[in-house]
Amino acid sequence: MKAMWALLAALCLIPAVARADEASPKVISLDDGDQLGRVSDEATEIDDGPYKRQVVFYRTNYAPGTIVISTQERFLYLVLGNNRALRYGIGVGRQGFQWSGMVTITRKTAWPDWTPPPEMIARQPYLPRFMAGGPGNPLGARALYLGATVYRIHGTNAPETIGTAVSSGCFRLVNGDVVDLFDRTPIGTKVVIRQAPEL
Amino acid sequence: MKLSVWGLPLLIAVSLGGCQSLGLGGSPPAAPAPQVSAAPYPVDRFVGAWGVASYRLDKDRARTEAAARAQCKLPYVIKRGPTDGIIMHVADDATPHELGLKKGDDGKVYLGFAGPPGDAQDRVIDFVSDREFIARYVDPDTNSRYGTMVYVRCGRA
Repeated sequence: MKAMWALLAALCLIPAVARADEASPKVISLDDGDQLGRVSDEATEIDDGPYKRQVVFYRTNYAPGTIVISTQERFLYLVLGNNRALRYGIGVGRQGFQWSGMVTITRKTAWPDWTPPPEMIARQPYLPRFMAGGPGNPLGARALYLGATVYRIHGTNAPETIGTAVSSGCFRLVNGDVVDLFDRTPIGTKVVIRQAPEL
Repeated sequence: MKLSVWGLPLLIAVSLGGCQSLGLGGSPPAAPAPQVSAAPYPVDRFVGAWGVASYRLDKDRARTEAAARAQCKLPYVIKRGPTDGIIMHVADDATPHELGLKKGDDGKVYLGFAGPPGDAQDRVIDFVSDREFIARYVDPDTNSRYGTMVYVRCGRA
């Protein structure tokens, strides 16, 4: 019954341009793999390795300012033009919770509030049912809302989940990166979500 | 006779005191036990169904209270325990426990396991009324993760 509810809700909320992968993504207000285990401020960065924020060679026909998310690679690219992009490491939806499509940024929020999904409350009954935004909040320092979906590009209080597939369809960056992206990205920005690797 | 968990520490303290008075031990006098006074209100004040939300900044309190009220569709239920406490969770532990109220020397009221008031696992009660109470964890790390918890009684306007 819970799966059916999620399916129906997903069908109502995902815009036609977005295509769900496998089973429809669970529609919740947050990734239920998250926990209240960490406090992470706006300065949290990845210092080294492939998930460190960096300018990379990136050949694309998309206009500068476009965001391209590669689920397979665990990278988010902000197209800069001249075959360059600013690349951020991300965490993506786990198996069955990945999707692809083309949407726009419809809303931006600093320190977004968090509402744990009911199944998370069932596992962790001591959680508040609503948490106002702040450093212990699993949604992190910023949120960029993707079209009319329930999905967001957001921060995290668990930086070690960057590069992994743990979410319920949202895309997470460390707080330092999501603040950087937030400041560079106006409402109306085109976001392309790719699931399969490019040939 | 039903012995409350909240009376047990007192009984132990009396027993230990009795041994010392008989001169059975050569150790120096024990430090005075922490002062535990009765809370200014009964635990029944906390029994019931509650909408729960949390905040960190005072500016968010009013909207957090409203959010807590809206969470009565998924209430947190507090029941009376078998030994005069209340059944609640502590941080990061999915198993409910029987907790009680403790008034500390500092005048604050704590909610937690039997023992000295102000223990790291305790919550300090910041505000209580018939329809709401506000509590936060004593441990700074836990408090920073959970924030200040607002409980609004469900089923009352």
